[in-house]
Amino acid sequence: MTTLSHPVAPEDVMALIDGELTAGEAAAVSHHIENCAECSALRDRMRSTSQSLSDWAVPPAPETLDATFQTQLAAAARNSKLLRMGSGFNLRNWRIWAVAGGSAVCGALALVVFTTSISYYGEHAAAKPQQLMAYMEPDSASAGFAMASRAAPKTRTVEPVAPNDKQWFSQAGAKVGIIGGAGGAPQPQTPAGAPMIARTASLTILVKDLDSARSGMDAILARHHGYSAELTISDEAPSRGLQGSLRIPASDMDAAVAELRAIGRVQREKQAGEEVTEQHTDLVARLANARETEARLRDILANRTGKIQDVLDVEEQISNTRGEIEQLEAEQENLEHRVEFASVDVELIEQYEAKLGGPSTSISNQMRNSFIAGLRHAGSSLFGVVLFFEEYGPVLLLWLILLGVPGMLIWRRYRRG
Amino acid sequence: MSNAEDRDNKRVETDEQLMAAFTRGSADAFSGLFQRYKAPVFGYFCRRLEDRSQAEELTQDTFLAVLRAAHRYEPTALFRTWLYAVALNILRSHRRKAIFRAMFSGKTAEHDEPLAVSFVETELILREAVGKLDPAEREVLLLREFEELSYAEIALVLHLPINTVRSRLFRARTALHDLLAAPKSAGRQLVRAEEH
Repeated sequence: MTTLSHPVAPEDVMALIDGELTAGEAAAVSHHIENCAECSALRDRMRSTSQSLSDWAVPPAPETLDATFQTQLAAAARNSKLLRMGSGFNLRNWRIWAVAGGSAVCGALALVVFTTSISYYGEHAAAKPQQLMAYMEPDSASAGFAMASRAAPKTRTVEPVAPNDKQWFSQAGAKVGIIGGAGGAPQPQTPAGAPMIARTASLTILVKDLDSARSGMDAILARHHGYSAELTISDEAPSRGLQGSLRIPASDMDAAVAELRAIGRVQREKQAGEEVTEQHTDLVARLANARETEARLRDILANRTGKIQDVLDVEEQISNTRGEIEQLEAEQENLEHRVEFASVDVELIEQYEAKLGGPSTSISNQMRNSFIAGLRHAGSSLFGVVLFFEEYGPVLLLWLILLGVPGMLIWRRYRRG
Repeated sequence: MSNAEDRDNKRVETDEQLMAAFTRGSADAFSGLFQRYKAPVFGYFCRRLEDRSQAEELTQDTFLAVLRAAHRYEPTALFRTWLYAVALNILRSHRRKAIFRAMFSGKTAEHDEPLAVSFVETELILREAVGKLDPAEREVLLLREFEELSYAEIALVLHLPINTVRSRLFRARTALHDLLAAPKSAGRQLVRAEEH
């Protein structure tokens, strides 16, 4: 049957039987069927098929269906529970449990990550410096000591506040004294047996005005008897900046850092401490040995007689020993200076503020620069994606194969229903 | 029941009005709907499942789902269309679960096509013939022949364009006619052979 020989489609003949045509269409199709034996036969086939199906009877609905439904409906009417189940929160709904379970797992993971980070930062950024400060600070309550300040006499008794405290320097009556031999450089005030700690800190601070911030920094240095070991000022666009390496007496470091923080908004802060006690003890021992050797050699030179060559050898030996002593003294002095003066690296960044009437480049230049920057960003992002897949691609592929293939098979079987 | 509800029940006649009355709190309105549609919905499942008890269970589930989702019913759609869409979803869900369970239990899943529950020859032949149809075409045919949905309603229930419904229905009827004609001719040949 073709549309050339039949102006109506076979589906139209079927639709006529089903009463799915408009009055006009129905009249046209009926007229055609009356004059077309083929379409008439098709109509009869369709009718007979429908007629055949009408013989397919199903049993009547069981009475138990009524009883069950009436019970459910009565329950719904009594307390509207079923209606609420559809419209709101329903504890029997598996989706709610799935969402709640998922949220709980995510929450637990977030909690674990959060507590881990807190404990990490707590240990590495807060607790450690606090412990170090407890060792260093004279009046730290946590250390349980009432120690002398830096300006106090160099030898004094340290009295423990908490006798049961099992900290480093819990030896009652420990002497704070000069470390090193007599005649050496000024020694840091450290209790005998207490750890020597070289403290460092670094701060990145965002400031509004670099000049006033620098003045403030200089004032802080002067107030705490510190000095600037290195200072670099950058005046390049878009924002000016200053990088300085400051040396501040260790006992004043916390106060100085606190004052530095007030200069602007702290973007990054890091504090650390390196224990150099062992290194210092070793140096002191080597220095003492060298001095003893030198004294013995001088004694030999003064009291013994012998050949001129022997005298020259002893003098050479004395000269070598003297050189070694001076080197060791320099090292000791440097080490003690590191302990006595904390190193604070400060970076001051001036906030960028666009200024009216400033030098401006031409529009074409700006567009060209933007275009080049855009290309560069596009390239770097593309490269980043490539790097990401290069790094994580094999792992993703592995898990995709391990989980994706069985998952897809299960899903297909599930959907087939 | 209040006087207002009584007046409502007397006045309402269409399915949509009964649903509206039910959403206003009239449980009798829903009972009326249940009485109207329990047999058609039960028949709907009976023709698609082999187990009558499952058909009964799914009929209950359908009305329960309608009860729960009554607040989502839009009066713009015919209740009958919506009801069969709910029934179809429940049937699909049931089949998915059956296949999923079969995957782990090792048992074969329930047949997708309706099987015989009666040994009356005509009915048996019809069930077998309908079972051989393409599932998509069969669904359209059954919705048209037994649930008496219009093409537009079938299109709504199955989320299909109306022309797809027409073409599928035509193919289903043609295929069914051929399937039903084959056993008859085979039967006639058998009778002739016995006469000889």
